[in-house]
Parts: sequence; structure tokens; C-alpha cells
Amino acid sequence: MTKKTLEIYSVELSGTKDIQQTDKGNGKEKYRGLKNCFEPRKNHYKEELRKEVDLDDHKLSIKELEKKYDTNIITGLSSTQAAELLARNGPNALTPPKETPEIIKFLKQMVGGFSILLWIGAILCWIAYGIQYSMNTSSSLDNVYLGCVLALVVILTGIFAYYQEAKSTNIMATFNKMIPQQALVIRDSEKMTIPAEELVVGDIVEIRGGDRIPADIRLLSVQGCKVDNSSLTGESEPQPRSSEFTHDSPLETKNIGFYSTTCLEGTATGMVINTGDRTIIGQIASLASGVGNEKTPIAIEIQHFVHIVAGVAVSIGILFFIIAVSLKYQVLDSIIFLIGIIVANVPEGLLATVTVTLSLTAKRMAKKNCLVKNLEAVETLGSTSIICSDKTGTLTQNRMTVAHLWFDNQIFIADTSEDHSNQVFDQSSGTWASLSKIITLCNRAEFSPGQESVPIMKRVVVGDASETALLKFSEVILGDVMEIRKRNHKVAEIPFNSTNKFQLSIHKTDDPNDQRFLLVMKGAPERILEKCSTIMVNGQKQPLDKNTAEAFHTAYMELGGLGERVLGFCHLYLPADEFPETYTFDVDTMNFPTSNLCFVGLLSMIDPPRSTVPDAVTKCRSAGIKVIMVTGDHPITAKAIAKSVGIISANSETVEDIAKRLHIAVEQVNKRDAKAAVVTGMELKDMSPEQLDELLTNYSEIVFARTSPQQKLIIVEGCQRQNAVVAVTGDGVNDSPALKKADIGIAMGIAGSDAAKNAADMILLDDNFASIVTGVEEGRLIFDNLKKTIAYTLTKNIAELCPFLIYIIVGLPLPIGTITILFIDLGTDIIPSIALAYEKAESDIMNRKPRHKKKDRLVNQQLAIYSYLHIGLMQAVGAFVAYFTVYAQEGFKPSILINIRVEWEDSNVNDLEDSYGQQWTWYQRKYLEWMGYTAFFVGIMVQQIADLIIRKTRRNSIFQQGLFRPQYWFVAVPFAILIWVYDEVRKLFIRLYPGSWWDKNMYY
Amino acid sequence: KKSCGQVVEEWKEFVWNPRTHQFMGRTGTSWAFILLFYLVFYGFLTAMFTLTMWVMLQTVSDHTPKYQDRLATPGLMIRPKTENLDVIVNVSDSESWDQHVQKLNKFLEPYNDSIQAQKNDVCRPGRYYEQPDNGVLNYPKRACQFNRTQLGDCSGIGDPTHYGYSTGQPCVFIKMNRVINFYAGANQSMNVTCVGKRDEDAENLGNFVMFPANGNIDLMYFPYYGKKFHVNYTQPLVAVKFLNVTPNVEVNVECRVNAANIATDDERDKFAGRVAFKLRVNKT
Repeated sequence: MTKKTLEIYSVELSGTKDIQQTDKGNGKEKYRGLKNCFEPRKNHYKEELRKEVDLDDHKLSIKELEKKYDTNIITGLSSTQAAELLARNGPNALTPPKETPEIIKFLKQMVGGFSILLWIGAILCWIAYGIQYSMNTSSSLDNVYLGCVLALVVILTGIFAYYQEAKSTNIMATFNKMIPQQALVIRDSEKMTIPAEELVVGDIVEIRGGDRIPADIRLLSVQGCKVDNSSLTGESEPQPRSSEFTHDSPLETKNIGFYSTTCLEGTATGMVINTGDRTIIGQIASLASGVGNEKTPIAIEIQHFVHIVAGVAVSIGILFFIIAVSLKYQVLDSIIFLIGIIVANVPEGLLATVTVTLSLTAKRMAKKNCLVKNLEAVETLGSTSIICSDKTGTLTQNRMTVAHLWFDNQIFIADTSEDHSNQVFDQSSGTWASLSKIITLCNRAEFSPGQESVPIMKRVVVGDASETALLKFSEVILGDVMEIRKRNHKVAEIPFNSTNKFQLSIHKTDDPNDQRFLLVMKGAPERILEKCSTIMVNGQKQPLDKNTAEAFHTAYMELGGLGERVLGFCHLYLPADEFPETYTFDVDTMNFPTSNLCFVGLLSMIDPPRSTVPDAVTKCRSAGIKVIMVTGDHPITAKAIAKSVGIISANSETVEDIAKRLHIAVEQVNKRDAKAAVVTGMELKDMSPEQLDELLTNYSEIVFARTSPQQKLIIVEGCQRQNAVVAVTGDGVNDSPALKKADIGIAMGIAGSDAAKNAADMILLDDNFASIVTGVEEGRLIFDNLKKTIAYTLTKNIAELCPFLIYIIVGLPLPIGTITILFIDLGTDIIPSIALAYEKAESDIMNRKPRHKKKDRLVNQQLAIYSYLHIGLMQAVGAFVAYFTVYAQEGFKPSILINIRVEWEDSNVNDLEDSYGQQWTWYQRKYLEWMGYTAFFVGIMVQQIADLIIRKTRRNSIFQQGLFRPQYWFVAVPFAILIWVYDEVRKLFIRLYPGSWWDKNMYY
Repeated sequence: KKSCGQVVEEWKEFVWNPRTHQFMGRTGTSWAFILLFYLVFYGFLTAMFTLTMWVMLQTVSDHTPKYQDRLATPGLMIRPKTENLDVIVNVSDSESWDQHVQKLNKFLEPYNDSIQAQKNDVCRPGRYYEQPDNGVLNYPKRACQFNRTQLGDCSGIGDPTHYGYSTGQPCVFIKMNRVINFYAGANQSMNVTCVGKRDEDAENLGNFVMFPANGNIDLMYFPYYGKKFHVNYTQPLVAVKFLNVTPNVEVNVECRVNAANIATDDERDKFAGRVAFKLRVNKT
């Protein structure tokens, strides 16, 4: 027994180990090459993940349980025992995921990216000042100011990035509120209500319909209890519970209730077997927190880009530092050159621009119901190559809906779209009249009051999922169901239970001439058929013969094969002589017939796909994205839904389908013939990673059914091994580890659990798979546009860098100052580069394959070379011409400028001769130098306009892409001229009539 | 996952891949194309640069600069030119001032009366020596004589005291920056004056004499027509001989030109129409 207990806890233990590992993981990612050193440990950790839920309390008898947990099912624990256990095991609550302290997040922003380089620049500035100060105490503070400006740039961009991140995190804070929960518990033989947090193992708790189950409990006694396990297993149907041990797997057995699932109806008593983090949900939660956050593709791209630029900056900086020193420059000067080179090379504004660009897109996506938690995830969706989608709620509407009917030996299709408006099946048959009556009457579900104005499909219903489906179905077709029920007064009723497998009620009819009672019954089709001796065809009763029974079975199998839940319906008019109006029906003794009834029809229900999903799946296909369904639901249902939404396309078959078609054994089928595959969790369990890889590469259409949370994780990892960027959608707690592991986790906003939302990077506010397609489009667009932004920004770096290089080597007066460079980078260039984010797509981006994670880089060699060595050099040359022009026209021709640097900068030389023999003081030269800065700056600016225009497109002509139409530039020109002329006139009169009325009023 | 050997192997393959015949990731033709491309591209860029520079230089005249907006006020400068403009004279240590004397000898050589008489005109003092082109484009201009003898005790001619440096009575020469077509003084006489910067400096400075008398600068040396056409232009000088500077004290001296059209109060340009220097005569 102790050994077993240890194993139960082992998952929890490894949970904490995982957390430690991810803490170190942050550092590890920087040193990818060293990763192999960690390999053995990582494998071990994967093994841990693969371990299935380990629990065996469901197999024990009550006596054994009492012994194991040292409790008594009648009296419960004593309060001292409970207090002791509480102290030992801690409160019954999930440990919240460990959060990075705000200050660490802030500091990370301060040292990430280019910040380090700029810090180095700032520190070099201060060192340079230190050297200057030690040589001459009255040296100018220029370098201190420059250092401060650089530090300020880093701090401001850091604060900006932090603010952006905090803003998106704050959106999440609203989801995190937890409602304190109470539990009804027996302790010291007394029933008492205590906060659920204080529950301990061994407590006896009572559950009623509507309660959230406060801990993992072994059910001891049950009265008609059904639970909603969808957040844990993905099954959309309510699961009946009983006290019997029915299945080896703790997730399947009926005598266990799971923490945080909801009891829909009935009551139950249970013994707490696990609390807090040791519950199944807790284990999954710790699994989720144990899974390291994958770096987003865009973060990798930006890091790659930062590495390139920083590499260029550092190597040129050091190269020229060495050159400067060997050219006998002073160390101080060399340091100042180094600063200049660093500042010129680092695109200071770019990371802020990228953040703004991403948040603009995030805003745009939020409008389209994609809420992005993590800014970088905006792009991830665009590079997604595999989407692992959950079924329930994402692909489907997450509500049972009538899909097919069978009566008169015919299958009819019901409309399953979101509003049910278009019911086209034949409603003229007499059988339908009877069937509709049964559907209406043999139903305990009711609309909550006060919803008359709400569309039928959106109304809130009290009752279970299938009854709700039937109620809404009949309300749509027949009108006011409650009125019909009122007219057909109910006299007796047997509710559905799992032993009977039917539901029955007896009504007075609304026909005043007919004094007979009507007995209506629905339930499991085979049970209903057993009770019938006749069948209704075209409104006429016919004996139930072998042929009709056969037809029934065919229809039943066909509907079942569609993954639908089938119900049978029958009725009987009780003869008036035997059952007069005053007859009292007793449901306990069953003083009425329950056999030889008349079979009316079958009705099947399914959680139907959302109407927008098939189109979205097609779009994903054409965008080269593979859509895989991963669900906890049954394979048949999963396959049916997959077929109806196009995840398995109409003409592709699974191995099983081929076998069935050719009537051969599954093993004989050539696996290459099948495009689609349906894999269950049981099969997946036995697969090696290599087999899984093979499966993922060989089949283009895959459905995973009956999967556990751990398996979802394995599937995601398998996809990532194929170098795919994986998006995972999900809503349940069971999805959260996979959501976290995925490159981008997408949670459902309406149906999603808090755990899922926490683990996800993105939330679909309308729970609609189709919104993902919008996201993909935006993501691809932003990747293209970021490329343009970066190309634009990088270009001028060369124009900023060349002046320093020329200055060092040729000894010209400095063409552009460091502050001026900062002014370009952080001033004039920011808005144009953000504007590029609004550029529309050049071609249909949804018709091309997703980018390859390793090959299609954001900043590739071509981009860098084209920006730096082609356009950048042209820009530098252009700016130099502007600079030389200013100097030549002021008196210094280019020839005299060469190697003039030392005298030029010597403040004691106040009679420097120019090309014409004129002599210049130091300050006069300095002023000219600033004019040169301006000329160079303007030179870059003017060429950046051209650069901006060319960057609008990468392939198309600018004229194809469309500019602002040229004629509009000239519309306001007359007014521009007017302003000019008017002002000249104003100034003329001021000069002509000083002191006049005009002068007093118009001179400013 | 990669071992050291593999990395080296990959590098080797990158440098020369025998299977694809690629050198540094490119085949021979690819290299040829890329080199050709850059040859043409940069050739064109160089040509473009040369062309624009040539066009630009065409717009620039040879004898006057296009703009002179930065040179509204000519600067003043001293000779001997020393580091940080500190004139330090150790009377007993001839080496300390010998370099100044050498520089001054060289500086004053073109002012020798013989050279001046040979090359330059004798002009009428008190008025500008204007030489209009008179229709002849860029007609070479003549310059006015400034004879070394005009510098009197500071001329250094037959001077055993080496411009006074050996006796602790140093001469400092003040000159005004050349600016093309600048009519200094606006047709009124102008002169240079020197004062101690602060009260104690004035005390320590003691007496001084100026050559030409009163520190006058004659108008005939203006305007300047640029070095290309005003070849033998001789810049007028003012020599200041400090007669009894308090020894072993640093004295801040400021000299400025008093002329109607030269502002000497520019806050930022400390050399506009004036010059400040430190004078120290060390005697034991």
C-alpha cells in the first residue's frame, strides 16, 4: 500500500522538479549548443510526462478505503484528524503558477536586445569623460550628456516594452478571479459547511446538482448523479456516476468524481481521496507549469537579427578601434570612435517599432475576436504549419443538437446550423405528428423564464444536454412547447435512470373527445424496441415484423456510425375502459403497461460542427496548414465531425475504411493508400516516438481520439519534431499542458477554463475556429511587413556608419554627430517604419505555404546585403555629396579636407586657412561642422523617403501596389502659395511702416 | 549535438565542397557573377559620385567662396603660436624660448623690407586698396607693403635680445584673420588694444608698447581678394612688447581690434575680433 501511495505522489514530485528545470531553462536557451549536455535529464523528464494518471482508489471496496484513509463513512473524520491532515498536506487548492517578479521582468527588458550594446556605449562615454577629466578638469561635458542620452534611450525603450507586455498581461488578470467555494462535509458525525480549501483526504462530502466537485472523490452512494467532465476529458455529454467500479482507468470509471468538474444533477456522497495539487486537475496543472514556454518564432527571428546587427557593430567597432590605435590616434579618441560606431550601427528605435507594430496588429486582431496575450504570438500564428484543434467547442457548437430523424423507414436530415432555421424534412406524415408529440411531452427540460425575446437557440434551459436539444428542436418546429405540455397535462412520470435506460410519462391528451391517456417513452433504441410490438408507418400502426426490425437496426447502426447519439421513441394510447380518467398511476408499482407499445421513430443527436468551420479548414488547407483533430471524445464521433468539417476530406479514406470497402483485414491494406488516419489514445500509448513521427509525416489528415492530456503533449512534441510551428486550440483543463507546449496556444474565450486561458498565448473571444484563419492572415502579413520595416531601418545604418569610418581613415571633419544619429533613429525614422506595418499584402498570402522555421528567416542574407551594401551605400554616397557641397560652398573644397582633422578640432588653432586663403576661428569651423551634420542628416532623410517608398513592396511595382494618387499632392498647393505670399506681404508692411497699426498687430 | 570534429568538417566543406565544387558556398560561375555584379555596381556608384561631385565643384568659383556667412567677424590670433596660447618665457633658460624665436624668424621673413619692396606696391595709407576687375575676369591683384621695420623694437632685425625674450620683455604679434572682400574698419581707422583681463592682471601686466604706434592697422591692407589672385598679400601685424611684466605670475591678456564693423562681444566665439592668451615671465 505504501508503495502505491508513493507512486501516486510521484507525479506531483516530478512536477516541482519540472518547475526547477524551467527556471534554469531560461538560461539554457541562450546556449543552444550545450543542450546535448542536458539530454539525459530531459529524456527522463519526458518519461515522467508520459506516465498516465496513476490512481487505484476506485478499485478498492469501501472497507478498504476506510482503512486506507483512516476514516468512517458514517461519522467522517474527527476535527483533530482533519486539522492534522490539513497541516500535513496543505490546503485543498491549486498552487498558483510561479510568476516572475515584476522587477525581474523589467530588468530583462533593460538588458535584452540591443540594450547591452547601448549600455556599453553609455559606459564608454562616461569612461571617455573620465579620461578627459583626468587630463583637463575643465573639459566639456558633451560625453556625459551623450552617455546620459544613450542610457535614457535604453531605459525608455525598456519601459515602453515593459509597459506593452504588462498591458497584455493585465487583460489576463481579469480572467484569474476565483470564487471561494464551500463544501458540505461530515466531520465528528455532524454535517457542516466549510470552505473547500479546508478539505482533507478522508473527508466525507455531499454533492448536489449544480455544485462544483470540491476535490477528487470516490463516490460511495449516488442518486441519479451526472457530471460534466468536458473540461477534463473533452466529452460533451454529461457522464452518469455510480458507486460501482466499472473501468480500470480512473478517468473512465464511474465511481470517481473529479475536482473542479460540475455535478449537473442528482446527489452523491463521496470520500475525498486527493486534494489540491494531488488531484487529477492539479497534476495536469502542474504538468502545464512544468512545460517550458517555447520561444516564439518571432522572438527567435528578432534574436537572430539582433545577433547579426550586434555582430556587425562589435566587429566593425573593434576593427576600427584597432585601426585607430595603430594609426596613432589617442586611446580617448579611439573610444569616442567606438561609441560612434556602436551608436551608428544599432537601430535604437527598431525594437520599439517592432513592439508597436505587433501591438497594432494585436489590436486589429482583438477587433476580430482574437485576443493576443503575448504580443509575439501575433506573428506565430502566421508561421503556423500545423494546427492541433480540440473538437468540442472549437470545431463544434458544444451543444447537443438533433441531426437526424428516422421514421416511416426513412432517414431525415435536420438542420444543425447555429439557428436551426431551415428544417426541410417532410413534416406531413402522421408519424411525425406522433413523434413530435413524444418529443415534446417526454421531456423534463424547460426554458428558464423571461427569455421570450431571446432567439430559441440561445435561450438558457434547465435540463441535460439531450433533453435541451430535443426541447429546442421541438420549440423551433412546433412553437410554444410549454403551452403544448400544459394542454397535455402530465399525470405520471418515471425519469431516466441508468438501469432502466428509458424515460416515461403519461399525459391527458389535448383532444377533448379522446378520453384516453397517452403513454410516451423514450430511451436507448434497443431497449425501446424490446418493449414494442407494433410500429407506426405513415401514421398507421403496423405489426413489428422482422423486416421492419431489420430496417430499424440498419438505421440505428447508420446513425450510430455517424457518431451520433440515438434515442428511440414509442407511445401507447391506454385504453379508456381500463384506465378511466380517474385512474391513479403509481410509478413505483408500475400499474400500467410498459410493453407492447407502438414504436414511432428514432432521433439522433450530435454536437454539430460550427457552420464556419468547414470553410476555415479549407482555407487552412490552401494556406498549407495541416489541421489535426485531437480530442478526448470517442473515435467514431471524432471521425464523423472530422469528416463533416473537412479535416478528413470527402474522398480520403482511413486504413479501416479501405479494409471495409474491400472486405479484407486491416493488416492487408497497403498503408500508403490511406490519406487519413484515426488514432486512439490506446494505440498512441503503444507507439514509439519514431512511429509517431512516421504517422505524422505519412498521413495528411489525422484525427486523434480518446487522448489524455499527456498524450496531447506528446502529439504536440511530435509535430514540433517535424520542424513545424504548432498551434493548439483547446478549452479544457486537459488542454492546458499542450497549450503551453505549443508554439502558440489558443484558448476559447467563452467555453475555455481559466487554466486553459492562463496557459494560452491567444484567446478566441467567440470560440470560433474561423477566427484562427483571420489570425493566420494577420500573422503572415505582419511577418512580411516587419521584413520591410527592418530593411528600411537597416539601410540608413550604413549611411550613419560610413562617416565614422571615413573620419577615422581619411581625417575629414566629422560628417555626422552621434546625437544627430540618435535623432534619425529615434525621431524621424520611427513613424515611417511603423507606417510600413499598415502595408497591405502584395499577393494572396493565404495561398502560399507557411514559412519554414529554419529557412525563411525574418532577416536573411539577401535582406542584409541589399540594405547594407546596395541601398545603404548609395545613401551614404548621396549624403557625402551633400556634406561636401556645404563645405565647398563655404570655402573648404574636398581636397583640403583630407587629413585636416587634427587642426580642425584643435580649439587653439583659430586661424585655419581654407581653400581661398581665408582664416577660420575654431568656433566658426565648429559651426560649419554642424551645418555639415545638418546636410548629412538631410541627405539621409531625403533618401530615406525614397527608401520608404521602395520598401512598400518587395516584388510588385510601387505603381501596382498603389501610392497616394499624385494629383492629390497638388490640390492644396494654391493655398500653400497663398500662405507664403500673404506672409511676405505682412512682413513687407511691417518693414515699410514700423510702429503703425499693422506693425503692432501683425509683428510677433 | 555537434562534436568539435563535425564543426571543423562542416567548415572545411563550407570552404571547399568537392561534391558541388563550391568555394565558400558558391560555385565558380556564381562567384564570377557576383564579382562582376559588384564591379559594375560599385563602378557605376563611383562614377555617379564623381559626376555629382564634379557638377557640384563647377558651381563653386575659384576666387571667392559661394557663401561667407560664417565669417562675418574675422578672428584674431597671436604669434608665436604656442600650445594652449600660453606664452611662457624662462629668461635664464634659452631653450624655453628659442623655439618661439625660430618660429618668429620664419614668420617674419616675408616681411623683410627687401622682399616687400621687390614684390609689393607702396600704397596710400588711410584708404582701401581696391582693385576692381574692370572687365578683365579675375585680374591678378597687387598687395601693399608691410615692412618688417614698421615693427620697430619687435622687428627682430639686429636684435640681440631675441624679440625681448632673453630680457623678459617679450614681443607678441597679433594678426587678424583674412576674409575675402571684407572691408575692415568700414572706412574708419582701427587699432588693436590690449588689457589685462582682470584687475590683478592689469597690475601685473605693467607697461607695453605697440608697433606700429598705437596698434594701428591701416585700411590699405584691405580688401583681401583670395590666395589665388592676391598672391603676395601681406597680412598687417601689430606687435606688442611687454616691458615690465611682474615675473613668475601668470597674466591673462586680452587684445581686441577696435573697428566699426567688427563686433568683439560674441559670447560663444572667444576669438571673434579678439584674442586672449596667457603670459608668464619666469625670472630667478
